[in-house]
Amino acid sequence: MLTDEKQPVLRIRNLNIWYDDKQLLRDLSFEVQQKQVTAFIGPANSGKSTLVRCINRLNDFTPNFRSTGEILFKGIHLHEATDPTSLRKQIGMVFRKPTLFRCSIYENVAYGARISGVNQSEHLDTIVETNLQKTGLWAEVENILEETPEQLATGQQQRLCIARALAVEPEVLIFDEPCGELDPIETVKIETLVRDLAGDYTLIFATNKRRQAARVSDVAGFLYSGELVEFGATERLFTNPQDDRTEQYVTGRLG
Amino acid sequence: MNSMSTRAERRQEFVLHSTSFIIFGIAIIPILNALKKTEATHIQVVSPNALSILLNDLYIVLSVGLLAILLGIVCAFYLEEWLPKTNWGRRWIESHVAILTGIPSVLYGILAISIFLSYAGTLKVIDDVPSAQNTEVIPFQRHTTLFLGEVLIFILMVMPVTIKTTQEALRSVVTPVREAAYALGASQWQVLMRHVVPIAFIRILAGGCRAMARAFATAALLIGTYIWHYTTETDGMSNRFLLFLGAALVLSVCSSTLVEIYNSIYNSNSA
Ligand SMILES: Nc1ncnc2c1ncn2[C@@H]1O[C@H](COP(=O)(O)OP(=O)(O)OP(=O)(O)O)[C@@H](O)[C@H]1O
Ligand SMILES: [Mg+2]
Repeated sequence: MLTDEKQPVLRIRNLNIWYDDKQLLRDLSFEVQQKQVTAFIGPANSGKSTLVRCINRLNDFTPNFRSTGEILFKGIHLHEATDPTSLRKQIGMVFRKPTLFRCSIYENVAYGARISGVNQSEHLDTIVETNLQKTGLWAEVENILEETPEQLATGQQQRLCIARALAVEPEVLIFDEPCGELDPIETVKIETLVRDLAGDYTLIFATNKRRQAARVSDVAGFLYSGELVEFGATERLFTNPQDDRTEQYVTGRLG
Repeated sequence: MNSMSTRAERRQEFVLHSTSFIIFGIAIIPILNALKKTEATHIQVVSPNALSILLNDLYIVLSVGLLAILLGIVCAFYLEEWLPKTNWGRRWIESHVAILTGIPSVLYGILAISIFLSYAGTLKVIDDVPSAQNTEVIPFQRHTTLFLGEVLIFILMVMPVTIKTTQEALRSVVTPVREAAYALGASQWQVLMRHVVPIAFIRILAGGCRAMARAFATAALLIGTYIWHYTTETDGMSNRFLLFLGAALVLSVCSSTLVEIYNSIYNSNSA
């Protein structure tokens, strides 16, 4: 089935989220368009991580998590479309803290292919090289592919995580504060990379740095006290916010 | 494709469920058997020598210990990886595990000895195998109730400790590693085989050593008691005492060596 260019990749309708009996997010509705960067901003604990983890069903593992409402991925309800395992192959995720596996740099990137049953070494070689090149890491690690990733700098590790996620060939890639642990120089590299990737992937980007969201995203949403206060084109949201709270937040007077 | 992978996962889940049930089922059969046998009132046993007691009991400790460790590991995997923390069955088992691991091994030893002594009166020790009427003549090793009592005690000692240490080992595989794998589309089974087992393996092994050490400590007491009891007719007082001490010492050394192995693995792993 070919997807209509105009159809949103993700359509979220009336999403409510609880942890135990405490409601964290109320009545969220928004759409994520293809090949755009959609950012979510908001102060700490505003539920950014919780929200983006709904999209790849990572909250399934949280026993006290509960939600109502609809998340449609390419028009089909998330829980009806596929099983979570193949859903997560289509919707990848990069976390705040780079977590690499205890195997070589090569095997980390080849992981997604391996668990899908790819074993031919030429095929794996290609996958590893292409994806390391996409993240600008190839030149840096070309000669140490068989060594463990521990020796890499945090920024390199994070780009390795991105390469590993890209190697699964997802359509959507979620970034949950990918620069939270990085220094400014490394942060710039990741931000540039995110912009580059936007041409080929649909990206979702959670951050609590408002300027970063302004730099990387096409569309942004502002989460505050359990609500999606405002959602729209980044340009407009930052220069001409419709809600007072958004204005206070983007100008640094709130949160 | 999609339904296939879910079905495969369900099958693996089913295999795990059923193996643990089968193992429990098998454990039940000899217990039922034993209940039937307790009716025999007058049993004669052939007097064993110290070496055969030692070997026989070591055999029981090792085989039962290994079985209980395997059982404990399967049980811990099931509790920790499949059941949610809120599941009542899991909570029930975990609370019992906490109680059973808290009991010092010497108390189990005393329990085992008292079972033995309560039966020792009904046992007539003979040197040879005569053809007596109305009596059942068995070699020492074949006394079902004593044997099962011992087996049960070893299982009660070893299994909870294994469950606890294995669960701790599994918890040492941190959430970020699991989530990173899940986020790349790994199934629960793949996360288990590729990350959880390799990372936790050495700690699970260490836990097994510690559980075995407990069984050895009790076996030391038990074997000492057997030797003391059975050597009455054949050996002199000082010989009996030496044998008692010797057996207890050998097993205690085994026991503390295992504990040392456990400690060194744990310290080197957490550092
Ligand atoms: N399993 C849970 N049970 C109960 N409360 C939870 C659970 N997970 C998260 N929370 C709470 O939900 C709130 C939102 O958490 P979340 O991580 O989604 O926020 P965030 O916007 O990503 O914050 P940060 O900027 O710190 O990353 C927090 O107050 C957190 O304590
Ligand atoms: Mg967060």
